[in-house]
Amino acid sequence: MKNFIKITAAAALSLGTASATLAGGHSVSLTPGEDINMVLLPKFLGILVFDQANEGAQEAHAELGNTGELLFVGPTPENSTAGQIEIMTTSATQGQGAVMLSNNAGDQIVPSAVAAQAAGTRVVTWDSPIPSGEGEDVFVAQVDFGSIGTVMADMAHSILGGSGQMAVLSATPDAANQNAWIAAMEVALKGEKYSNIELVDIVYGDDQAEVSYNRALALVDKHPNLGVIMSPTTVGIQAAAKAMQDEGMCGEVGVSGLGLPSEMVSYTMNGCAPEFALWDFRDLGYLTYYTAYGLASGQMKGEIGETFSAGRMGDFTIEEDPGRPGSSRILMGDFTVYNSENVEAASK
Amino acid sequence: MLARIPPQTLRILALLFVLLAVLLFFSTQVPNYLNGRLFNRISSSVAIMALIACGQTLVILTRNIDLSIGSVVGFVAFATGSLITNNPDIPPILLATYSILLGACFGVINGVFVAYAGVPSIIVTLGTMALFRSALVEYSDAKSITTNNLPTWLIEFPNTQLFSIGTLQFRAAFVVAILVVIAVHFALTRLRPARKLYAVGSNPEAAEMAGINSKLVIFFAFISAGALAGLAGFMFLARFGTITVVAGLGFELKSVASAVVGGVNIFGGSGSVIGALIGAILIDLIDTSLVRWQLVSEFWREAVLGSLILLSVAADAVLMRRLVKWRVSREKKETKPEVQS
Repeated sequence: MKNFIKITAAAALSLGTASATLAGGHSVSLTPGEDINMVLLPKFLGILVFDQANEGAQEAHAELGNTGELLFVGPTPENSTAGQIEIMTTSATQGQGAVMLSNNAGDQIVPSAVAAQAAGTRVVTWDSPIPSGEGEDVFVAQVDFGSIGTVMADMAHSILGGSGQMAVLSATPDAANQNAWIAAMEVALKGEKYSNIELVDIVYGDDQAEVSYNRALALVDKHPNLGVIMSPTTVGIQAAAKAMQDEGMCGEVGVSGLGLPSEMVSYTMNGCAPEFALWDFRDLGYLTYYTAYGLASGQMKGEIGETFSAGRMGDFTIEEDPGRPGSSRILMGDFTVYNSENVEAASK
Repeated sequence: MLARIPPQTLRILALLFVLLAVLLFFSTQVPNYLNGRLFNRISSSVAIMALIACGQTLVILTRNIDLSIGSVVGFVAFATGSLITNNPDIPPILLATYSILLGACFGVINGVFVAYAGVPSIIVTLGTMALFRSALVEYSDAKSITTNNLPTWLIEFPNTQLFSIGTLQFRAAFVVAILVVIAVHFALTRLRPARKLYAVGSNPEAAEMAGINSKLVIFFAFISAGALAGLAGFMFLARFGTITVVAGLGFELKSVASAVVGGVNIFGGSGSVIGALIGAILIDLIDTSLVRWQLVSEFWREAVLGSLILLSVAADAVLMRRLVKWRVSREKKETKPEVQS
């Protein structure tokens, strides 16, 4: 009896899918109400942005009426790499429909991700992809990695007033997304508009407040004419801003990069970090959930060129990832630049 | 003259010599190096690690190790931040006391398992390191403590300039840390109960025979380390303002490194907190200087830092052994005539 119901349900679903496809042109409209267990796996637990992504995923979960379970599980901070691999392996064993991964394990995650795929689990990455693209169905990119470079170059340009020295304070030397963004910024800086901006140094604060704080101070000691510290990490940017504030250097050195409005509001208002940018992690979680749900329910194939409708966010198309040839991505879109005019509203 | 100086003092003199050598070396390599700014950087930065290394030393003296100390710092920093955010009117002294007591509570957990359940400290604290960190993840609920919710006195405290000598600024956090280290040093060298740490560490059986309750002593060492880590957590909060679940990650190994570089014997029984303080300063100085040194790329910095630590520990060991040998032979020469007469 149960089987029968399932079969009829599946038939009804495929009919539904077909009609939706017909009605909406090329865009796949996902049929709600499937029973799929899914796992949202952040880099590690206890970080605000990942919880925001979870909120977005939970919103999509409720919206799609998935009768299965959406688990938000992640390793503890000191065990990130090994913990992610373990959770990926466990998820495959449990027969989860999909794992949504913000990868912090580099290519070390590949064997377990490949095994998960072989066991029928779809692997959708978000925030940070698997560098080689192996073991990954599709990457939901928050923004075009190339455009981050341009936005960072623009923020530096505006803080420096067109000319001066800038330095980068990154996370760890092997963080794939950080390195891609810095490389994109170096490309952007070659443009005519930025010819008077000199990138003098790149240092790494290991995404730790104390290391980043000390690195920021070392930067201003090393380069007396430094005008901007660009930190594309939420930990680094606030540590750098605090360091400049503590040493009374906010007038000389501006801090910019990617930061959270709630953490940056005081530094933006007092001029230590006049401009910074970020995307919406709730939207990222929401879109990632729609993608994973579509793939795991078989309504999407995950092929390049496929378009689907992601609820309130509209239509998205799977395309080849320009940064990782042979891999596919879904591009979420723009991000918000925050300054003294809009940061207070966003920090609430 | 060399023979009259006690070995501990000699060791500290040797460390100061290494410190001076490092300073001189980098002053030839890095432009604009030897100035008040460098002192201010190192002194503000080392204030937190000095307290942690001091606590770690107390535990190492008893032949144990505390790997949970970084997680304790992180938890206390967060819990203190959360308390003051919700009750902004708490007076400073009370808040600091809260941090210290909370840290001591974590020390009690470690102490009970190590001293009374007899589980090796490396296993206990490896477990509690993960446990305390997970507790922090759970407790934080993925929220961060942010600077704009903290009272001004707290944020301004670490950088308040108490006095200055030329361009060298003595800031509150550094002065507090130094005073604490000196107080602990005084206790360890002058006070009977604290001397027991050395007795238990250098020869546990003999200490028991002499009527020392070694379990209580080890228990006390862990509580003190917890309390010092708690104070460090308070300072961490004041200095960085924004606290997330990664606060204090890696401090356990840095504190062990500071203690060992500072001449604290990893097998227990000998060493001083002044040494650990200088060890912390030395590591911080090398780390900061390497960032400013053009010759070393980011990818090699860790390796160079590691090699320098190894080198300084090895040099210290060799020098001390030579010295002990030299002394023994001298003493023999001096005592010989007495035996004959």
